Amino acid sequence: MSPMPQTRGGKTAPASNLYTVILAIAFAVVLVTFAYVVYACKAQYGVFLGVP
Amino acid sequence: MSTLTKVLIVLLTVFSLFLCGIVVTYVANAENQRKRADTLQQQLQSAKQKQQAAMEGEAQQKQEAEALKADLGKQLADLTTLRTQLEGEIDRLKRDNSQKEQEARDASARATLATETSSKMTDQATAAQNEVKDLQANLTNIEKELQETTQALMERMAVLSDLEKRNRQITEEKQGLETQLNQVLQQYGRAPLRPPTVTAPRTTAQPMTQAPQTPTREISLNGRVTQVDMKSRLAAISIGSAGGVRRDMKFHVTRGDRFVCDIVISDVDADKAIGSLDLVQIDPQPGDSATTNL
Repeated sequence: MSPMPQTRGGKTAPASNLYTVILAIAFAVVLVTFAYVVYACKAQYGVFLGVP
Repeated sequence: MSTLTKVLIVLLTVFSLFLCGIVVTYVANAENQRKRADTLQQQLQSAKQKQQAAMEGEAQQKQEAEALKADLGKQLADLTTLRTQLEGEIDRLKRDNSQKEQEARDASARATLATETSSKMTDQATAAQNEVKDLQANLTNIEKELQETTQALMERMAVLSDLEKRNRQITEEKQGLETQLNQVLQQYGRAPLRPPTVTAPRTTAQPMTQAPQTPTREISLNGRVTQVDMKSRLAAISIGSAGGVRRDMKFHVTRGDRFVCDIVISDVDADKAIGSLDLVQIDPQPGDSATTNL
């Protein structure tokens, strides 16, 4: 297996959609967690960063 | 895609899920520090207000305590002064009480002495009344005797008057008889012979010769014992100066054939005499016979 992605018909094709989905889920989870943390900070202290 | 990349993707995903889970759990369970800080701030303000109020109350109570202390000090001073005055009053009352008790004892002693004096004066008054009664009885007896003596004297004066009257009559008869006798004798030339007088003629003074002394006999006086006082050893008898009793006479008291005592007369009245007892053999009683000669 080559470390570079293989191109088919001039388009870039992922090596494996499965792992792409996994990465997307991980990213989504991290993003949702970040959003929840921001919401919680705004709700409790009014600011996200800094001293209230 | 290499295997290492796949493994890393899987691990990254797993760790991301794990870490996100931990973060979500922590944030969900984390305490609201702002709310807590507000609560603590409010509690701090409340505590400060309470402290201020407590300090103000303490200051006020301290002022009140000071005022109360000053008041109590003043009251204590007043009470101390009052106590001193009351102690002085108590001492004065004690002195007055002891003085009153002494006066009461003196008054009681005076009352007792007055009672005793009154009793003695009553006894003396009773004795004086009895003596007055005795003197009145004696006076009555003396008046009675005086009346009897006066009556006897009047009778004797009447008898004497009668005798003088008879004497004059006899003298007149005698003179008449002498006159008749002289007339008869003159007829016969004789003179009458004067009868010898009864009175002896006077002679010259001669030495007095001792006349033979005729034997005399003492008169026996008899009476009765009327009163006896063994305390003072005195007795009274029923005859007095009218019966011939004189001071220092000795009467022998007998009861039947028994000798009782002697009475030496010390005071004599008209109808009674009083003397002291002597040689007492048995106690004399009223009714015992008293005589000067046994």
